[in-house]
Amino acid sequence: MLSRSIYKVPQGKLLKISLTYDENTNMISQVRITGDFFAYPEEAIELLEKELINSVLEREYLIKKIRSIIKKYNIQFIGIDAEGLTQAIVMCKP
Amino acid sequence: MSEQWRLLLTGGNTASVNMAVDRAILVAHSEGKVPPTVRFYNWVPPAISIGYFQSLTEEVDINACKKLGVDYVRRITGGGAVFHDKELTYSIVISETHSSIPKNILKSYARICNALIRGLQELGIRGTYAPINDIVVDGKKISGNAQTRKINTVLQHGTILLDVDVDKMFSLLKVPNEKIKDKMITDVKQRVTSLHHVLDTSIGFDQVAAAMKTGFEDEFRVTLVEGTLTDEEIIHAKRFEKEYFSSFQWNHRR
Repeated sequence: MLSRSIYKVPQGKLLKISLTYDENTNMISQVRITGDFFAYPEEAIELLEKELINSVLEREYLIKKIRSIIKKYNIQFIGIDAEGLTQAIVMCKP
Repeated sequence: MSEQWRLLLTGGNTASVNMAVDRAILVAHSEGKVPPTVRFYNWVPPAISIGYFQSLTEEVDINACKKLGVDYVRRITGGGAVFHDKELTYSIVISETHSSIPKNILKSYARICNALIRGLQELGIRGTYAPINDIVVDGKKISGNAQTRKINTVLQHGTILLDVDVDKMFSLLKVPNEKIKDKMITDVKQRVTSLHHVLDTSIGFDQVAAAMKTGFEDEFRVTLVEGTLTDEEIIHAKRFEKEYFSSFQWNHRR
């Protein structure tokens, strides 16, 4: 199932998520993170999207996963953060 | 004697050339082949640039751009969509390890924006830095800025609005919800200003560029010496233009 969300991070920037997931298994099959935020290095966003494939679409799981990816690739976000990304992704689930 | 940086006045160019030149300077400076560089430029034809992380088709009405002869390009920097029409655009390229550049990214935004604020002061305007990446006058945005750091080098570019046409801008951008488009236009009109509006008279690019030159010189205690792109930078720029900024693959990558 393809789903979208738009979420303005408090004090931050706009996140637009396009997400494909399996309703039965609750697993993410594809995610695209767009918006007017900043990330250093920029290319890390594509690594983040790749690493989120096969993740469970569930808040607690996602926030830990996103934090670990940020650490792994030493990503610095400005205008968004792990909490905001998690919120925007979870919002895709009706 | 103060440190000398290079000043480039490259005039009006297409969107893909402008973004290719900024990137070419970044590469040349990272290789130690050119000094820190400040560049002032504009966009001919007018153009929309989108941030690295934005979706082109979600943000830009490509048919409207084609109809109105407006260019579009994806930047290598993050941030939002910008309609570049009557404005001065600047870029600064400088090593991440230069003593004038804070290691902290937000602090470096503030430092570089301060050069623009000094430039505004030269024009008798009091601007303030509004984190993350704006400069405001009387609470209204007059300048947007975006920075990337690659190969140990900082590239920050941004705009100073000489004049603004919010209705035209919205005819080129897509809005998530057509029903609230009118309200969005009203909001943006209230939140954005321009030199024309603040000064209550029109002001030319050259006068603003002269003020901004002084702003950069005062903030960084350097002398900006007018120069030209090197042959190698021109070659790099041509390659970047072809491989990235004028290519479908780059502009539509998200």
